Amino acid sequence: MKKTFSLLFVLVLALAFTGAVFANGGSEGSAESADSGNLEASLALDSAVAALTAADGQPLIKVSGTSRVVPARPADPEALSEDDPLHWWDMEFAGENSVKKNIPESPKDGAIGKKVIMIVHGDHPWTTACINGATKVADVYDMDFKALSPNWDLAVQNQMIDQAINEHPDLLLLIPLDAKTAPQQARKINQAGVPLIMFNTLPEAAAMDYCIAWTGPDDFGQFRKLSHLWADKLGKTGGVAYVQHAPGGSPYFARYWGPRSELAVYAPDIKVLDAQAPGFEADKTQQLVSDWLTRFGDELTGICAADDSAQALGITEALKKAGREDVVVIAAGNSKQGMDLVKEGKLFAITYQTAEGDGALAVKTAADWFNGVDLPPVRNLPQHMITADDVEDFYPPQW
Amino acid sequence: MMLNKLNRNEILSMGDKFRIYVLLVVVFITMTIFAPHFFNAWNLTSIMKTVSMNATVAIGFTIILIVGQLDLSVGTIITFAAVIGLGLKGAVGYGLSVPLAIVAGGLIGLINGVLVAKVKINSFIVTLGMLTALQGAIYTITGGNTIAVTDHQAFAISDWLQHQIIPMVTPRVIITLVLVIGSSVFLRKTRIGRNFFMVGGNSQTAWLAGVDSDSYTIVAFVISGVMAAIGGILFAMESAAATLNLGTNSLMYVLSATIIGGTSMAGGKGGVFRSFIAIVTLTMLYNGIVLLGLGNEVQIFISGIILASVILYEAYVEFKHEKLVGQRPELLKELEAAQ
Amino acid sequence: MSDELVKKTDTRSVTQNKFKRIVNVAGIYGVVVLFVILGVVLQALGIINNFLTATNMLNIVDAVSMLGIVALGMAFITYSGHFADLSVPTTMALTGIVAVQMLQFGFFVAILSAVIVGIVIGLINAFAIGKLKVNPIIWTLALNYMTLGVIRVVWANKQIYPDMISSSEHATKLFDNIYRLRFFNKIALPMIMLLILVVFFHFLMSKTRYGIQLKMTGAALKAAKFSGINVEWMIGSAFVLSALTATLGGLTVTSLSRVGAWYNGAGYDFKAVTAIVIGGMTLAGGRGSIIGVLGGVLIIGLMNNLMTLLGVGTFSQDMIRGIIFIVVVGLNAKSLRSMGRDDA
Repeated sequence: MKKTFSLLFVLVLALAFTGAVFANGGSEGSAESADSGNLEASLALDSAVAALTAADGQPLIKVSGTSRVVPARPADPEALSEDDPLHWWDMEFAGENSVKKNIPESPKDGAIGKKVIMIVHGDHPWTTACINGATKVADVYDMDFKALSPNWDLAVQNQMIDQAINEHPDLLLLIPLDAKTAPQQARKINQAGVPLIMFNTLPEAAAMDYCIAWTGPDDFGQFRKLSHLWADKLGKTGGVAYVQHAPGGSPYFARYWGPRSELAVYAPDIKVLDAQAPGFEADKTQQLVSDWLTRFGDELTGICAADDSAQALGITEALKKAGREDVVVIAAGNSKQGMDLVKEGKLFAITYQTAEGDGALAVKTAADWFNGVDLPPVRNLPQHMITADDVEDFYPPQW
Repeated sequence: MMLNKLNRNEILSMGDKFRIYVLLVVVFITMTIFAPHFFNAWNLTSIMKTVSMNATVAIGFTIILIVGQLDLSVGTIITFAAVIGLGLKGAVGYGLSVPLAIVAGGLIGLINGVLVAKVKINSFIVTLGMLTALQGAIYTITGGNTIAVTDHQAFAISDWLQHQIIPMVTPRVIITLVLVIGSSVFLRKTRIGRNFFMVGGNSQTAWLAGVDSDSYTIVAFVISGVMAAIGGILFAMESAAATLNLGTNSLMYVLSATIIGGTSMAGGKGGVFRSFIAIVTLTMLYNGIVLLGLGNEVQIFISGIILASVILYEAYVEFKHEKLVGQRPELLKELEAAQ
Repeated sequence: MSDELVKKTDTRSVTQNKFKRIVNVAGIYGVVVLFVILGVVLQALGIINNFLTATNMLNIVDAVSMLGIVALGMAFITYSGHFADLSVPTTMALTGIVAVQMLQFGFFVAILSAVIVGIVIGLINAFAIGKLKVNPIIWTLALNYMTLGVIRVVWANKQIYPDMISSSEHATKLFDNIYRLRFFNKIALPMIMLLILVVFFHFLMSKTRYGIQLKMTGAALKAAKFSGINVEWMIGSAFVLSALTATLGGLTVTSLSRVGAWYNGAGYDFKAVTAIVIGGMTLAGGRGSIIGVLGGVLIIGLMNNLMTLLGVGTFSQDMIRGIIFIVVVGLNAKSLRSMGRDDA
């Protein structure tokens, strides 16, 4: 009795599922394509977008004024030493020599009413601000905008990509969770014919072939510049230690090997004492730095951190406890805690990385593509180092 | 009167077994009605693809719970197998690296099992330590880098694994289904399979029946390791990449699903197929939540509520059962007749 | 029969040499001493420096004080045979973010609100696990998820900062000082909290009637029930204690990170269980001591310290930690069994 019941049940379920084949096989496309009169209206909105501001009072859309200097690609970067800046060429300048494959043509009919889906990497107050900024721009163009977050899970991000493709948006914005899986993801989206813009995290170079453009902060460039400031403050001598980002992602390389390879050329007398990845916990970082001070003593004169909130707090607490506030600390910004520490003089300098601007630039680039603008393969947010002199300009914090 | 009561208890226990199917139908119908873009071939296939990895892992996890143990290291075994399978591809090709990955998973399971059964350390502790140690080992071997395979063959296999044969069925899904049905039949129909239940449910009886609890425990851990490895390596082959925290979220997912599916933490009760259905249900639920435009916090909250409801219900059933323990229905009937 | 004959034929007697006896009495502190000796040897060999200094030793205790506070409370749950409290991370986050939010009404209101929230969570756990007898691991896990969802919904996926909400600068300073207040410029407030808790809890667990009843609840639940102990109250109280120390830990972590966020306290559940188990408390309950848990916490601190001084990479550190964990627990279990003291 029980057995037949359960068998019947499973059969019914199976039938229901196969019914899905015939039901609603396709899915709705985007909103009706706008008419050509849309293009002028859309271009007219550009000025409105340019006037938007972020929560910290800075302009929302900022594009790097000067295009960065891209050195020639060496024949085999992998063969070079890791301390050689050119070793990181493929990662740092991903997209600069990509060969675009099968990129859809812009419909050139304006951005108004377009359906745009954004998939970020995970939940964090930073991403909340990023989506906020993106929404601000999307609202100006009256886009059908949706943001999804896979909460740091790659399987979920892949599923969300599938779901997004299913909805046939006019454009997909993606923060790849992992640089190396990005090519597969980009390929899949490309094959489905959906226009793709990746942003914020640098993917592996192969992924660039499949997307329209990449926007985001020039992490490597910022840290190279920051390391110059740092080395100058240190008098181009001494010993430094690095508190690293979570391994594997582009910030890990950009914020450790970026400054390290730069200093190998700019200030070769500075010795690299240690590099560890304690995660983003203040107490762990504090113990790490305390132990570093025990181990290296006066030899340690500078610390570079990948994060200016939890990590920087741990570092500065340890330094204060040991009475070693002479150590020069730099970090990647810009969180409120980091800016507070800069104000207090405990952090020497942090990079400015606008969260709202990141999302906003991605959407603006999408709008530009709809407007038929010719896009460069890489669009960077502007670089800026926040020091005690101008930290007040960046309050209230974006997140 | 008494007869009716007995029937009611029977129905309740049947309902207990079937509640996960009921839940599946409820979720499916709700999502079809309310969630946009839910009920179509592409989306349902996507759901089944996501189900594949966790369902495979859940097979082993269910068996572990049935023998009354816990395996917290499944998440890292997934990642470990993926890393080995993809990492060695360059050197020896998939033909050798995939079996090696599965063997590696089994070995980890063996170590876990021996520590639990022979050295008699609590499985919570052993697998917690293994989790930490293995995660550290993964980072050390890879130097912190994701492993990606980008050659033509890898992409071809990846595409093959995820192409849709019929809606909702891709090759990876087929492998998972075969494993699930095979394990379910093995557990229910074969004597060895049924012995797992005895080892977990009533170890005294197992000893009296001549069933070696230690061996069964070790085998359960090996199976768990192997299943986790299979799930991980298949997923990695499909993504053509292995990130270093590939399996980290799977533990909680699989644990919740197995409990919701009716397997008990106390051991001796449960089913592989039910865990599978539970995973399908949960994945459908989360998929629908995203389609409805609700954020991750809703999903997290709902998974907590479902888990809590399930174990509260089980505690209630246990309470009712305790009341019956020691009662003799025939004597009660006699008493009633005498009144 | 002569005494000698009895002794020879008494198969119950267990042979122990002096060494085993020392190991058993010293318990986990034997391992602590072992690590310290290792450090001293390495220092003498010139491989590491400054290990046996007051600063370094204080650093070690400082680094693990927050973990210690949380572990001490959870130890009561393990002692009562109910494994662990996996809702600790979000309890820490919730009490922290509530405290920050309530800073707008002043420092004391903030602390009071946090404590109340902590007690409420403890009572929820106490009711479900003590009275309704659900599985503690799954229940606390489910509660963890629910609390996380609540925090994120109520605060709209954002984080809040003490100084932006606080009613006065004085209140912010007080809150900031929960972590940063130092006596004699060396001893931080969390360390003092840890020491006070160790003394108080050790007394509670080993010398009071409550502690002994809790021990019996952990060691033999049915016997405890039949000897008249209100088992439900016992178990419930353990969970309330754990929630209270989680509150304390949450306030400290939030004070350190200067932000009320949903991710504060993540990972503290497994870290605390690790410390408790290394410290000699078995998951079956009824065995162990608060001093042991302190020892377990100190070992974790010592391990981290030694490894960083040696320059071991972060990844390898995780691997070594996991292996040492299994080894210490295994040795403990083996020595217990060889002494004839049943299973762990």
